[in-house]
Amino acid sequence: MFNELMQRLFGKSDSKDVAKKRLQFALLYDKLEVSDEILFNLQKDIVDVISKYFEIDKNSLKLDIQKYENKSALVVNTPILSAKRVQKK
Amino acid sequence: MEGKVIVVTSGKGGVGKTTATASIGAALALEGKQVAVVDMDIGLRNLDVVMGLENRIVFTVVDAVRGKCKIKQAAIKDRRIDNLYLIPASQSDNKDILTPDMMVRFCKELRKEFDYILLDCPAGIERGFENSVAPADEAIIICTPEVSSVRDADRVIGLLYAKSIAPKLIVNRIVPEMVENGDMLSHEDVVEVLSIELLGLIRMDTNVVISTNTGMPLVLLKESEAGKAFRRIAMRLNGQKNIPIEIPQVQRSFWKKIGQKIGIGR
Repeated sequence: MFNELMQRLFGKSDSKDVAKKRLQFALLYDKLEVSDEILFNLQKDIVDVISKYFEIDKNSLKLDIQKYENKSALVVNTPILSAKRVQKK
Repeated sequence: MEGKVIVVTSGKGGVGKTTATASIGAALALEGKQVAVVDMDIGLRNLDVVMGLENRIVFTVVDAVRGKCKIKQAAIKDRRIDNLYLIPASQSDNKDILTPDMMVRFCKELRKEFDYILLDCPAGIERGFENSVAPADEAIIICTPEVSSVRDADRVIGLLYAKSIAPKLIVNRIVPEMVENGDMLSHEDVVEVLSIELLGLIRMDTNVVISTNTGMPLVLLKESEAGKAFRRIAMRLNGQKNIPIEIPQVQRSFWKKIGQKIGIGR
């Protein structure tokens, strides 16, 4: 009983570090949660931009948010059919 | 000069919004300001009991907003603290009875009569939150050093920024012993994660329960550390920028320490 009390008084456990890490990841993931509508619009815009430079198959473009241990990545995957010649003005 | 409308919010419930609203309101009134505190938690009112004014309710904020009574009729005058008024929530309606536009118009009237109007926002981010935020000039975020509370605070801060309000933070229920042992997020951790301006730090204080039990304002309880901290917060809000933010320290008296440990252990 006394030992337990002493442990509680002086024992260090640093569970707050765990809390802080979990919190930071949770907030990161919360903010990366995007609605399907935003994702659809983003896909449309990306297709438009890439189409300026490459001939791509617009329907097979895939947009994905991949989560790793401590970061997230926006992955755009599309087969390139051919390069376009960018005309200089 | 027109009064200032400040919303007290948190996202998460049960972190001390109502106690903070009552205490900051009372403290601002003790500074000699005309203060109205408004309970925006329609259907689940509690600011009235926390302030000990529950048996004097005749009209509510819903009546006042919808023009069923005058502001003066709905505002209950505190008998212990001069210049402090409570506009209670109604218990029989639900939050949809008010709209953000109605609240903006209502607060325009309140600004003429009071220096500070504190809105006690309900938990959540739905209509009650929108009603409370729409008329606000400033916002105070109440947050405890817990993962769930900080996360919800972050969400609410985002929503406030979207409405061009830069909120200020109060970290509530700090247990210095646990912070020292590394078992509780420190206020630095919370500020770092949320990255907003800090307004004040409140230690865990059993006097809050006593204050709520009796309806006696926390800021009038002389031995309450939380009460003192709220008074300093009010002074800072009221423009006294030279009042430092005191960091709750471990109380070194051995028996006090044990008492607190046991209190937490329960």
